[in-house]
Amino acid sequence: MHISDGILEWPTLVAGGVGTVAMAAYTLRKLDLDDIPKVSVITSVFFVASLIHVPIGFSSVHLILNGLVGVVLGMRAFPAIMLGIILQTILFGHGGITVIGVNCVMLGGGGLCAYAVWQLRHRFHFKKNEMVFGALAGATGIFSSGIILALALLTTGKEFAVVAGLALGAHIPVMIVEGLVVGACAAFLAKVKPDALAGQRPIVIAPTDAAQPSTTSADEDTPK
Amino acid sequence: MPLDIDRFAHLESPLQRWDPRVKLFTLGTFAFSVALLKTLPIAIIAWCIAVIILRQSGLPYAFVSSSIKWIIFFLLPFFIIMPLSYPGEAAFEVIGLPFAWEGLQLASLIFIKAVAIILTTFAMFGTARFDVSMIALQHLKCPKILVQMLLFTYRYTFVFLEEMRRMQTAMRARGFVMKSDIKTMQVMGNFVGTLLVRSFERSERVYKAMLSKGYQGELHSMVTFKSVRQDYVNAALVLVTAITLLALDLSGLFLPAKQGWF
Repeated sequence: MHISDGILEWPTLVAGGVGTVAMAAYTLRKLDLDDIPKVSVITSVFFVASLIHVPIGFSSVHLILNGLVGVVLGMRAFPAIMLGIILQTILFGHGGITVIGVNCVMLGGGGLCAYAVWQLRHRFHFKKNEMVFGALAGATGIFSSGIILALALLTTGKEFAVVAGLALGAHIPVMIVEGLVVGACAAFLAKVKPDALAGQRPIVIAPTDAAQPSTTSADEDTPK
Repeated sequence: MPLDIDRFAHLESPLQRWDPRVKLFTLGTFAFSVALLKTLPIAIIAWCIAVIILRQSGLPYAFVSSSIKWIIFFLLPFFIIMPLSYPGEAAFEVIGLPFAWEGLQLASLIFIKAVAIILTTFAMFGTARFDVSMIALQHLKCPKILVQMLLFTYRYTFVFLEEMRRMQTAMRARGFVMKSDIKTMQVMGNFVGTLLVRSFERSERVYKAMLSKGYQGELHSMVTFKSVRQDYVNAALVLVTAITLLALDLSGLFLPAKQGWF
């Protein structure tokens, strides 16, 4: 899901660029040294996973998973999604270099909204908590991105009102699929590797001794 | 869709010889100026220029078209939606819906601009090794941390693509067929979850290995850049063309495709 080149007017493009730089600056400041390889490696998983197509009726959609990025990476979801979009632009020409800003705000903003919803799970205590809030977060990620997409199209002109409406409508099936997949995935991770989820209490994502290279033993597996 | 954009970086051509720093800056500026165009004739000229630039690179036609066909597929709906939903005078009616030529003009403008920019992107990134392009971006004041993360992500995309294909083969071997039901969605959720857990564990190992090789947040590269006068001549040529196009576009010689609230 992305806006293509050549549609939006320059004020929207500039606003998207400024928004992306501001959000990236804010979220990157919280990034530690040992987060850099981790966030990048996980970004490439999402990049690969977004190539999966899921059938719906007679057509198929590909997973976007920006909600799941929020669920797994928390605030670091924004730089991760930004990386994914830049890479997608360079590799496939999807979107385009002039709309990188708008697309980052759209999908990254959706990821952050999903994280906000995901964090609400601490308020409730019931069985399958993770599955329900994972599903809600997955759907929220797509929903908020769809809203931002429609708004961006509307700033361009009233000719785009119908296009914006259609785009928003087309997101409803995607929302349902993403909700189901992210819900199942969150439940799976909660069972198998709970510290992989964002905002778990207590947070154990990075080993604290990782900052001291002298004490860390070398592993057999090397980056190729 | 080819994932390795730099598959043909080894070809000998003026674009490959062009200093990547100058090339990325110049063609990037060109792409942005194309995005600002508002008139159809100028957009067509810009499209021709993008084609000429790309032809210089000697990238095989099949390589470029395999990506372009997806973009065309995405943009085709505009040709149907825009003319039928354009507010204002309708030329004639199609099954009860007003059909406006202005809408068709707007759709064509969007389409031509989009294709022109994508062709330029290919000329930018298809003509140098990916890591060289990224280091060049760093020289252009792109944040160091971003460049590093892009390099990592690009590298590991291929590893996980392989991993994913292996898992998919395993699933098919066990008789899994994708359907549109809740069961499939759950299986896909678990699939993505497994991929994530594996990547988490791999990223831990990779990070430890990097630390043991002396990683301290800096990436050192053997790539050096040298720009000669020809590089700047090429850059000046493209930039002057871009400015001329924008000036012609704003001059009012051509009728702009009406768009916007104003």
